[in-house]
Amino acid sequence: MDTLNLILDSAERIFADHCNKETLDASEAGTFATALWQVLADNGLTLLGLSESGTTAADAYRVLRLAATHALPVPLGECVLARQLLEGAGSVEGLDGVGTLGRAAAGQGMARDVPWARDCDWILIAPLEDRSDGDSQTLTLLTAQECTVQHGINLAGEARDVVVFEAGAGRTVQCSTSPTEILEQLALLRVVQMAGCLARTLELSIEYAQDRVQFGRPISKFQAIQHQLAVLAGEVAAATRAADGALERLGDPRFQVQLAVAKARVGEAAGVAAEIAHQVHGAMGFTHEHQLHHYTRRLWAWRDEFGNEAHWQRQLGRRLAAVGADQVWDFITRH
Amino acid sequence: MFEGLNFDAVTLPDQAEALRDEVRAFLADAMPVDCVADSNFNEGHDPEFSRALGARGWIGMTWPKRVGGAERSFFERYVVTEELLAAGAPVCAHWIGDRQSGPLLLRYGTEAQQQRFLPALTRGECFFSIGMSEPDAGSDLASVRARAKPVAGGWRLSGTKLWTTDAHRNHYMIALVRTEPTSENRHAGLSQLIIDLKDADVAVRPIRNMAGGEDFNEVVFNDCFIADDMLVGQPGNGWEQVTSELGYERSGPERFLSAFRVYVELVRVHGPEPDAPAAQLIGRLASHLMTLRQMSISVAGMLQAGKNPGVEAALVKELGNNFEKQLPELARLCVAQLADDHPFRQSFIRTLLHSPSFTLRGGTREILRGVIARGLGLR
Ligand SMILES: Cc1cc2nc3c(=O)[nH]c(=O)nc-3n(C[C@H](O)[C@H](O)[C@H](O)COP(=O)(O)OP(=O)(O)OC[C@H]3O[C@@H](n4cnc5c(N)ncnc54)[C@H](O)[C@@H]3O)c2cc1C
Repeated sequence: MDTLNLILDSAERIFADHCNKETLDASEAGTFATALWQVLADNGLTLLGLSESGTTAADAYRVLRLAATHALPVPLGECVLARQLLEGAGSVEGLDGVGTLGRAAAGQGMARDVPWARDCDWILIAPLEDRSDGDSQTLTLLTAQECTVQHGINLAGEARDVVVFEAGAGRTVQCSTSPTEILEQLALLRVVQMAGCLARTLELSIEYAQDRVQFGRPISKFQAIQHQLAVLAGEVAAATRAADGALERLGDPRFQVQLAVAKARVGEAAGVAAEIAHQVHGAMGFTHEHQLHHYTRRLWAWRDEFGNEAHWQRQLGRRLAAVGADQVWDFITRH
Repeated sequence: MFEGLNFDAVTLPDQAEALRDEVRAFLADAMPVDCVADSNFNEGHDPEFSRALGARGWIGMTWPKRVGGAERSFFERYVVTEELLAAGAPVCAHWIGDRQSGPLLLRYGTEAQQQRFLPALTRGECFFSIGMSEPDAGSDLASVRARAKPVAGGWRLSGTKLWTTDAHRNHYMIALVRTEPTSENRHAGLSQLIIDLKDADVAVRPIRNMAGGEDFNEVVFNDCFIADDMLVGQPGNGWEQVTSELGYERSGPERFLSAFRVYVELVRVHGPEPDAPAAQLIGRLASHLMTLRQMSISVAGMLQAGKNPGVEAALVKELGNNFEKQLPELARLCVAQLADDHPFRQSFIRTLLHSPSFTLRGGTREILRGVIARGLGLR
């Protein structure tokens, strides 16, 4: 087995052992999953993609996809991306505790929708927009003491806080990663997370259909249910391929286009999948007690974060229109 | 996680990409002037064009050289087929032989059959049709009734095949027929026979379709004699043989590119700076198309590795057919009123009129969903 598969294997065990329905419910009720985070940190999972970890950025995304199949209620992806940004900027000194990543407009002193900022020891603030002078970008590293946090949540009950800080607060780091690139990394994070959630949604739906008996047989024996699950499987397969396509092109010139393809296609799959999964699960899937909604609400939330389908479709469409009708096929085959 | 849901990364090898440029250069010259570009593989029967392709070595590309093949990879074949479809070239004449009948003969045919048919197929001089469907056997293929009874030196065949594409233009049909009476096991007792469509005892009657074309046919066998050497594979093994074709039949680019020319015209109508709704639609369709293409290339990789990706192929076809049906429906709402002779409208109308067939031919949507459900362990 290669290194990545070893990591995925042990990560799967860690996620399964340390994140369950109670962890998710407690997190939504406002208790941070401290024990879970500690295990992740102890096992080096908060250092994914850093050179010392021996894993690549693409490896990190693959583990983060797996984490999403368990709906981990912690800012693991944001923490990992923040650390990679810092490492890329040459700022490698150790950072302890829980960390996250937010974005703020220049001079505003406010970042919105920062995952779990309230529970973090440090928060890396990246610029929201590209600078017109094309100069290097300034990252701001804040400790919990250097900012105030207003609580907020997304529709999946994940913490999405507002972080307010004063001009000159925290430590600044110059980095060469552009705000657009940072947005792309965050969008890719949601893409792989949705792919993970989609796989789980299919798995739950198949299990449920095989267990639930009506009219004297498992509902999975009804053709109408089989066809719905086949459609769901198609969406999951397409979304998985689109997400993988973006991962495979990470760091090559085709990445931007494939990311737009992926965020648009996976976001579309998310809506279809959530709808079918709930229909198959009947009223049971509509209860708070059932775990399905932890996945479907995340799908609904994540497809809107860092650009919804419409945003990425337009971006991709403009590129295609710019190459012109007689070159669209060439464009498609070169990406 | 589930069987059939894994579409591993496949990058087309450089050799295949190099071939792409060759195909484009060829098409720039060889596209017949009077040809209406149409990406539907069932449209455009042009023996001369097929011969020109054959001369380039682009029919039967993956077959061994001893039968006229080029011993090239499935990836190279993939590139050639997608380039032809995207350009809307008239590929119908050789399509079935190249995709299906040839590989079937290579797998199950005798040496003599291979030598007799395959070199001619690769030259674009011999065209094959598929004889599966009948009046009472559509989706339920095992209920075919065409009956071949053993006689000295061969078989006597009676019965009717239906919807046989291009039987009136092609040379041969590979027919699935019953060679033993029906038994408990419906899949037993079926065999595949090669039928000479010019035989005096074979009556071919074109059937006009709703788009006005005469492409598919009724084919009646009037106690027609079929020599022993026209049996493909083993007698009674027809079901296994026919289902082995499906990975080839269902996963190719023809399962999602049928409406591609409408897309090209949609982009043209909106010009280099489309408004937001048009840009959004152009991008949305591209996100589907580019994903389907990667999935289809992944299946080409499975074929190259000698696998039989039945469920993956069904998934590509199911998603692809829905896409090619949706494309004109969505495009139409994004284009202002145009006269019917405008290039967008022409392409749209042609495609719309043929679109009902997309989710029928090669296995209906419902049958494919059944195949996928079986792959998920539900049946
Ligand atoms: C343009 C075109 C070209 C063709 N060319 C060829 C050819 O060259 N050679 C050839 O052999 N055939 C050809 N066909 C025939 C094609 O394979 C059949 O149309 C197809 O297999 C479906 O059969 P049917 O049309 O009899 O529909 P039916 O099987 O009667 O189906 C009618 C409807 O019922 C549904 N249905 C049937 N069974 C089930 C089930 N168990 N569960 C749920 N729903 C079901 C179907 O999905 C469909 O929606 C062609 C068809 C078209 C449209």
